Amino acid sequence: MKKLAIGIYAAVTVALMAWGFYQAIYVAPNDAMQGEIFRIIFYHVPSAMAAFLFFAISLAGSIGYLSFRRNSPGWAQVSDAWALAGAEVGVVFCTVVLTTGPLWGRRAWGIWWTWDARLTTTLVLWLIYVSYLLLRRFAAGPQVQTLAAVLGIFGALDVPIVYMSNRWWRTQHPAPVFGGAQGSGMDPSMVPAFLWNILAWLAWGILVLILRYHVERQHQKIAAAEVQQALDA
Amino acid sequence: MDQAAILDHQFRIAAYVVTWVIQLGYLAWLGLRWQAQKRDAARLSRGR
Repeated sequence: MKKLAIGIYAAVTVALMAWGFYQAIYVAPNDAMQGEIFRIIFYHVPSAMAAFLFFAISLAGSIGYLSFRRNSPGWAQVSDAWALAGAEVGVVFCTVVLTTGPLWGRRAWGIWWTWDARLTTTLVLWLIYVSYLLLRRFAAGPQVQTLAAVLGIFGALDVPIVYMSNRWWRTQHPAPVFGGAQGSGMDPSMVPAFLWNILAWLAWGILVLILRYHVERQHQKIAAAEVQQALDA
Repeated sequence: MDQAAILDHQFRIAAYVVTWVIQLGYLAWLGLRWQAQKRDAARLSRGR
C-alpha cells in the first residue's frame, strides 16, 4: 500500500514536471526586457523556494533531535533522519540556485558573479549546509548528531537573512518580484507557468526528500543491528 | 535570430540542463546508496 502510494505520487510528480516544462517553454511569453533568458526564473526561483523549505525541515528535525535525545531515543533518530534529509536535499536545490543564477546574471548583468548581499548570503547558506554534510560524513563518535543539530539550527538562521537581503540592502540582484515594493510583480500571462513550476519542483523535492529519509532510516537500522551483532558476538 | 537572442537561448538551455544534471545525478547517487544498503541488510541477516 505504501509502495503504491509512493508510486502514484512519483507518477503525478513526473507529469507535473513535464507540464511545468511545457508551460515554461511553450506557454509563457518572452520577457519584454530580457527576452528568452528570463525563462530561467521558472527553474531558479522555485529551486530557491524548495531549498528554503528543506532547510526549514532540517531545522525542525534538528530541534526535534535535541528535544528527544535524552527521553525518546526512537523519536530522536526519526528527527535526526529528517534533519539530515532536509539538509542534503536543501543543498541540492541551493546548488541549482547557485549555478542557474550566474548563467542568468551573465546575460542580464554582463557578469557571472558579484559580492552583493543576496548572492553572498546564499553562498554562505550553501557553505554552512555543505559543512553540515561533511561533518555528518567524516566525523565519528556519539556527539556527531548533537553537533550537527546545533550547526543545523545556526545554519537555518541564514535563511531569513537571504530572504530579506534584497529588501534590507541595495543589491545587484533584482528586487523581489513578489511581495516587494509597489509596482513589483509578474506579467499575468507568466503567472500560471511560474505557479505550475513551483508546484512541480516542490513535488519533486518532497519525493526526493522522502527517498532520502527512507535511506537514512535504513542506515540507522543497519548501524544499530551491526552494534547489536558485535555485542552478541 | 540575432546574436543576443542566440546567446540567450544557449544560456537558457545550459541552465535547464545543469538543473536536471544536478537533480538526476543526486537521484542516481541516492539509488546507488539504497542498493548498497539492501546488500548490507542481506549480509547482516545472513550473519545472524
